[in-house]
Amino acid sequence: MLRGTTANRLYYIAVAFLLILGAAALAAPWIAPHDPVAQDVENRFHAPSWLHPLGTDNFGRDVLSRIIFGSRSALLVGIVSVSIATTLGMIVGLTAGLGGSWTDNTLMLVMDSLLSFPTILLAITVVSFLGYGLLQVMLAIGIIYSPVFARMVRAETLALRHEGYVEASRALGTPVLKIVFKHIVPNLLGRVIVQGSITFALSVVVEASLSYLGLGTQPPTPSWGLMLKDSRNYLVQAPWMALYPGLAIALTVLCFNIIGDTLSERLNPRLQKK
Amino acid sequence: MKRMHLWKIAAAVLVLLALAAGTVTANGQPEERVLEFALQGNPDTLDPHKTAGTLTFQTLKSIYDTLVEPDASGKIVPALAEKWEISTDGLSWTFTLRKGVKFHNGDALSSADVKATFERIMNEETASPKVKDYAAIASVETPDEGTVVFKLSEPNSPLLATLGSGWSAILPKSLIDAGHDFANQPVGTGPYRFAEWVRDSRVVLKKNPDYWMKGLPKLDGVNINIITEQTVAVQGLLSGQLDVAYRIDPDSVAQLESSPDTKVETRLTALTLVMSINCSRPDLNDVRVRQAISHAIDKQKVLDTVYGGGKPIGTFMDHDNAYYKDFTDLYPYDPAKARRLLKEAGVGQDRVFELFLPQNYELHVKAGEMYQAMLSEVGMNVQIRLVDWSTWLSDVYKQANYDMTVIGHTGKLDPDGTLGGYGVPERRYVRWDNPRAAQLIEQGAKTAGFENRKVIYDEVLELMAREVPFMFLGSNYEFNAMRNNVYEFRITPKLDTFDFRWTELR
Repeated sequence: MLRGTTANRLYYIAVAFLLILGAAALAAPWIAPHDPVAQDVENRFHAPSWLHPLGTDNFGRDVLSRIIFGSRSALLVGIVSVSIATTLGMIVGLTAGLGGSWTDNTLMLVMDSLLSFPTILLAITVVSFLGYGLLQVMLAIGIIYSPVFARMVRAETLALRHEGYVEASRALGTPVLKIVFKHIVPNLLGRVIVQGSITFALSVVVEASLSYLGLGTQPPTPSWGLMLKDSRNYLVQAPWMALYPGLAIALTVLCFNIIGDTLSERLNPRLQKK
Repeated sequence: MKRMHLWKIAAAVLVLLALAAGTVTANGQPEERVLEFALQGNPDTLDPHKTAGTLTFQTLKSIYDTLVEPDASGKIVPALAEKWEISTDGLSWTFTLRKGVKFHNGDALSSADVKATFERIMNEETASPKVKDYAAIASVETPDEGTVVFKLSEPNSPLLATLGSGWSAILPKSLIDAGHDFANQPVGTGPYRFAEWVRDSRVVLKKNPDYWMKGLPKLDGVNINIITEQTVAVQGLLSGQLDVAYRIDPDSVAQLESSPDTKVETRLTALTLVMSINCSRPDLNDVRVRQAISHAIDKQKVLDTVYGGGKPIGTFMDHDNAYYKDFTDLYPYDPAKARRLLKEAGVGQDRVFELFLPQNYELHVKAGEMYQAMLSEVGMNVQIRLVDWSTWLSDVYKQANYDMTVIGHTGKLDPDGTLGGYGVPERRYVRWDNPRAAQLIEQGAKTAGFENRKVIYDEVLELMAREVPFMFLGSNYEFNAMRNNVYEFRITPKLDTFDFRWTELR
């Protein structure tokens, strides 16, 4: 019982944190204390103070303002790439699950070969093929994580298509598309949402990694990964440059994972039966 | 009294032990004085005739010698050749070789080795990337064992600097004929002998006791450790695992200076730091826009913030070069004037300029971020594109598919090395079109004598300063960090190779 309440509390804290983050991203121009790209080299490496609550970086830019603006690219990448991954994954998964064995095998072969690459390596490949930039990063992450969704959706679809109500509906002559949207998709949604929130966390990390490598967000646009990259040479001199963007990434990822875990417990019919 | 004696004896023993520890190790052998050096990357090969890679020449400088060499001021002085004479028509160069020089394999140096070396360089099969530098040589003749004569097809002043550069390293004829694997087993006449090369780890060099400069080298050996990560080199210096690290990040200087065990030596580099401007692009082909770019940049501020300080230059020549001429007052920092010039030229926010930054050069990327901010300040819409090095080389440097980029041009021993090809748009990536400059540069290569050449290059540098194919930033300082007991760590000017002959560990 106690474990349940702690988990619940964590869940609400996580939701609250992400809501605040989302609000901050939307309201960035109004709440950020400074212009995130304005350079002031006379005041570089300023330790946290009232004027700069999280200090300044190597160009004298305000770290807090950059983190607030950086949440925009982090969340935007999360939303767009998860949408791409979900859409792609569901289309492929449903087609494979409902189609014949030849379609199924071919699609899954492609998906499995995508899955077999290490994530970052595949991301770098896709980005160097598409070109650098935020849009390309979102596409890359979407493509990379689509096989996870495809595999899951296919497995569920295979199970669902033999359920009594689906077969009954088919016997009545309901068009396939209608069956998909009326009977199959609603049953999948819970798991897709769970997977989505985990993928969201992963995409924040991948975006930060790609920006760290210089392949993602282009300077001077603020991005958490880019901030970490800049901080690398000043770890002793200006530890706040690394600490706060690092915290922002860690907390965001943690919150999405907590939400994902809680939702998977709540929405998983098998766990509920127990 | 007795107690006093014991104290004295004990003290004397301690002093003796301390003295002994300085020169003799536990097994009674004199201590080997080996320098632990940090090099920033792996040489691609150890064959001096088959690469243009600086890392290779930095490693090979200790193993090979050249006929002539630059001294600490960049002047060409005798090395393996005791003296040389150039005929009045400039077509016949006679070198008299030093006597008693031995290769590491025991061969005595003779004119046949020199001839074989240059024939190897100019042989198509060797595929030397520097082969064009030798194009003026028609033949190499050896009237006797100690004399070499280069016959030229036309006068060529830059050749002397070429003969003093690492890619003209003299190899033994016997091993050239035997098809020796110089890429992995270099054999030269240099102050240190090659011992081993563990790729990605280290190159081990041992003292050459038969070196032709008496009393040199002073060290027993040099271990060139390959350390690509700057922070690792800095930590190695602090902990004492390394003795010298070359070109450390300006932002690490404070940390190393405050340590009691390490010191930092500051030296002005021979780099020409620029923001290159593609003069063939719309708007950028208007000289007013290029002037506006120069007026928009606070050069000293960028040098101080990003490059660790330095001296501004107003033209395309490194600051300490003998051919340098000061044009820094021509288009100084003046944002108001920049705005006015842009308005005159009709450049507005709708024109997006792409600023390409080579992302492996962290300092150039940081400078680029400052340029972007300063250019936005005067109303230019500049967008940064980070590119990897191979993309930069192919898209920017070879195909000139860019608006602006940030880079540093390395210094050259001869001004033709710096200026050759400029003024002809197809030959250089800034696509600068100036027939007068091109003609002067060609003339300069064929002219002999510093004074005569200076007049010519002065005019070229003025044309470049006025026409702004680059925003000329400056030459920056470099910081070489070492343990307190390291003395005489020397760097050959322009070539940026390490001269360990005089280096000492005290």
